[in-house]
Amino acid sequence: MEANDVDDEEFGFSRNYFLAKELGSSGKKSTHKLSDINLVDEQELREATAKIEPKHESEIASLLNNYKSLYSKWAFELRCGFGLLMYGFGSKKALIEDFASTELIECGVVVINGYLHSINLKQVMIVLAELLWDQLKTQRTPSGNLSKVQQPFNSRSIDDLLSFLDGPQVAGDECFVCVVVHNIDGPGLRDSDTQQYLARIAACSHIRIVASIDNVNAPLLWDKKMVHTQFNWCWYHVPTFAPYKVEGIFYPLILAHGGTTQSVKTASIVLQSLTPNAQSVFKVLAEHQLAHPDEEGMPINTLYTICRERFLVSSQVTLNSHLTEFKDHELVKTRRHSDGQDCLYIPLTTDALEKLVLDISQ
Amino acid sequence: MAPSAASDSPTTPDNAERNLQPFFVLHKASLRSSDRKSTVKTSTKARTRRRIDLTPTSEQSEAAFAGEHYDDHLRTETFNRIWSKIESTIKDVVRNINADVFNDIHCWVQESFHAIRSCGMPDRAKATPSYPIVMDPLSKQLCTGLVFTKNMEFVDDLLTFEDLGLHLRSHGCHVANLSSFDFSAKNGIAGCLRGLLRQFLMVGLDVADMSILASWYIEQGNYNNPMVVIIDDMERCCGSVLADFILMLSEWVVKIPIILIIGVATTVDALRSILPSNALKYLSSRKFVLGSPAERMDAIIEAVLVKQCSGFSVGHKVAIFLRNYFIRQDGTLTSFVRALKIAIVQHISMEPLSFILGGLFNEDSQDLLSEGLPEMFFKQAFDLPSCRRNELAEPNGDILVHGLFDLKRLQKSWSSVLMCLYEAGKSRKITMLDLYCEALDPHLGLEIDVRMSSSDHHVHGRLHNCGFIPQVIRMVRDLSAVPLCQLLNSWEKHTEGIVEIHVKVRELQSLLKFEEDKGLKQDSTDISRRQKTRRYLNIEKDAKALNEKAAALINCMVKNYMMPIESIPFHEIICFKNVDKLQAALIGDPRRTIQVDLLEFQKFLKCSCCSKSGNIPFPSMHDTSIMYILAQEHGDLINLHDWYQSFKTTVLHPRIKGKHRSKQSPSPKKRKDAKESQNKSEAFVQARFCSAVTELQITGLLRMPSKRRPDYVQRVAFGL
Repeated sequence: MEANDVDDEEFGFSRNYFLAKELGSSGKKSTHKLSDINLVDEQELREATAKIEPKHESEIASLLNNYKSLYSKWAFELRCGFGLLMYGFGSKKALIEDFASTELIECGVVVINGYLHSINLKQVMIVLAELLWDQLKTQRTPSGNLSKVQQPFNSRSIDDLLSFLDGPQVAGDECFVCVVVHNIDGPGLRDSDTQQYLARIAACSHIRIVASIDNVNAPLLWDKKMVHTQFNWCWYHVPTFAPYKVEGIFYPLILAHGGTTQSVKTASIVLQSLTPNAQSVFKVLAEHQLAHPDEEGMPINTLYTICRERFLVSSQVTLNSHLTEFKDHELVKTRRHSDGQDCLYIPLTTDALEKLVLDISQ
Repeated sequence: MAPSAASDSPTTPDNAERNLQPFFVLHKASLRSSDRKSTVKTSTKARTRRRIDLTPTSEQSEAAFAGEHYDDHLRTETFNRIWSKIESTIKDVVRNINADVFNDIHCWVQESFHAIRSCGMPDRAKATPSYPIVMDPLSKQLCTGLVFTKNMEFVDDLLTFEDLGLHLRSHGCHVANLSSFDFSAKNGIAGCLRGLLRQFLMVGLDVADMSILASWYIEQGNYNNPMVVIIDDMERCCGSVLADFILMLSEWVVKIPIILIIGVATTVDALRSILPSNALKYLSSRKFVLGSPAERMDAIIEAVLVKQCSGFSVGHKVAIFLRNYFIRQDGTLTSFVRALKIAIVQHISMEPLSFILGGLFNEDSQDLLSEGLPEMFFKQAFDLPSCRRNELAEPNGDILVHGLFDLKRLQKSWSSVLMCLYEAGKSRKITMLDLYCEALDPHLGLEIDVRMSSSDHHVHGRLHNCGFIPQVIRMVRDLSAVPLCQLLNSWEKHTEGIVEIHVKVRELQSLLKFEEDKGLKQDSTDISRRQKTRRYLNIEKDAKALNEKAAALINCMVKNYMMPIESIPFHEIICFKNVDKLQAALIGDPRRTIQVDLLEFQKFLKCSCCSKSGNIPFPSMHDTSIMYILAQEHGDLINLHDWYQSFKTTVLHPRIKGKHRSKQSPSPKKRKDAKESQNKSEAFVQARFCSAVTELQITGLLRMPSKRRPDYVQRVAFGL
């Protein structure tokens, strides 16, 4: 009978899919344009977004309160060696941090905001190692047990850090550092290398992990080795219905006009955080693009020659590191020139680019 | 940090800053509490172990009695005790299964090592130059052991290869365990070399060079032992890197006698498809085959759940769930073991009396239980459904203690009978997993109870219908003499705990022996052929009778001695039955549940405003819920304009009543304000629309407009 259920379910799935497809292609496809809406100015839109009144506040509060009764169970599961994975609709940031600061006071807690774009896991590992080191020092008698570690953590390799975190536990006197990862499926952590490293961190004997996911497809990030032997998840369905305020901060508003102003703003923030040389390299590219608006872009070699002439870069390697930085922030993209050469361009309109150049020249 | 501050985190400035940091330290380990913890620890340690199990101090038991959550340390200790027992049992089982193959591999490693060494002893002068000495191509052959895992799920074999490494290390080999992670295209050959050096030399080096390894091998005086490199999942390695690695090793094999062991999940063809022929020609391979996952599964079930190394057991539904999860969904032993672990954790955190489990199945439980349990547990124990069902007399310690002993005894005989069934079914490949699940069925017990009053024939009629147990009984009836004899021998071993049955098995054995002797005697005396055939017929008839007797015996064992755990009083203490909890913790289903959260949010929020609306969007609902409900009406593409309009009508609909958003237009200057507020509300509706879309984007239920379709978003999930 169960087999039938499964089949029915699967049948339902495919039927729904095809029904939806059919509905989409059945001719009465709407031709309305987004621009038909009387869109308000982006500035106003952003202000309004900040002022949205939350709904069901008291119900959400009581829902969060109900979850408190689970805290001791969660802590017990962490002690038993499981990782906790929280899912369900709504921001779980406050919930998890509240849990960590009430129930996990006996161990250090490091929080990773996975919804941000640039997360350096090595830095996280260094902090974890330092916390663990402090904890081990206070918990154990100062015997020769730990004296091997003299080197400061920030000059060690990732493998060394991992093997320190994976050190032997003293039976009966376990010592943990807890890692809280908000949105482990977030944009900054989504690539498979990062997930592998996270899994390796989670598998360390001195580490316990509590994470949250929001994307319905998040489990696709992990293979069976990661799920069963490294993260060792214990799933919890804890919908909070709390607004995704922080998590959504970097998503462009869909009704904002083509996102021009937005992208100029973000681009200039990113550029201003870079070194002057990097900014100048970007400017070279921007000037080229403004001067030749019809071309497909600037070949890397040309860029390199100009940058070298102006003493902006000393080698191809430094230029490439700048370019990688730009590409990561989607400031620069590559496309194939008609003669087969790869060339660089900035994915902004001429107006936006002028504004941006003005912005960073100030 | 105060917990209240955390709960409204986004507002405080401190948090606002934290929210935008990639990571931060929430708090350090508090010293005070760790002091407290250590004092608690020492006091617990001061007590004897069994005191902790069964006679906790009064505050502890009060806490337990109070229900909410009883002492954390007790819980953790119970868990640790049960789990460490199960874990070590599993390890032993797996090791035993692999023992033969491991020994074979070790012998082969030694052989190959001697073969390599016979080509010439390395010495300092030869080994230190950074370029290898050119020898004839034959000596470039790399001894390679291909270990076929018969299992596509490489997770299960990680541990196997780790064990293999330990096994070889304990026999003096130098071992490095590499995985596909080391053979990634990204890190290239340097990555795996670094991993190799790291494992052999125990230091992390920035420069990866084989000559370092060579000089280490010479200098350390390591050269009397072979060096083994184990790669556990060949199929997932990057082919070109692996090929480079093999070519490099083959160059150095004269100086460093490296022996490769490669785990292969599929067939030998996989090797050919991954490696180019110039790498393949250097491999002189030898095959080894590991046991199949189903075999290992049966062995683990037998050791952990049937023989009950820890006392912990699971109910019928949980067993069925575990079986289906193994067979249909995941197929890995690792996940099965993990599920078991989750079951134990759930059981301990749900069942306050589960701490008894820690002590009940120890050797010294006899005198433990006779010392008696604190009275506060009686009420709890007698409130268990299995007790109330059996309407036991008034609660007192003796009954509880006897109940627990009965539970233990009945469990033992249950597992003995199950073992007998398993032995009988082995020849026809009836798995332990199937038998185990069937034997746990509480209705099996009920049926048998009913049948006991009816006649024997009737029983047979009922048993014939279905199931593995009746099948096994039928098989016993059809066994020929030799296997029957073997079967009886194994039964003799398994029924040692049940005296009555043991005697009967013995009787059968002697009968069988008698028959055999008779047969032999008749064979030896010189008689005519016709007589001989007649006698054979007789013997056959006698043998048939013997089979009938054996079948009747096993039938009687099943009837009388195989009480499923769920029909025994007090079983809740040691038996985990909550399959829903297990499933929820083991397999999250975000795809479905997040949609359900959105569509049926009233279930969770229990608000009064939206409950009556059913599945019709209602302005008081969450914006994102409204949007998602509206989205259901579209096909796979949603026109943003239409979506926005229907959202707007839903949200603004009750404004006619003048209730909604009255705050925005409080002033009396009507006309001007009306226009302004309209603008404002337009902005607000658009803002709400945007943030709802963003939230749907975060959940991954929407795909954003593309260049080709700027006015459409795409739905990702269809139906739950």
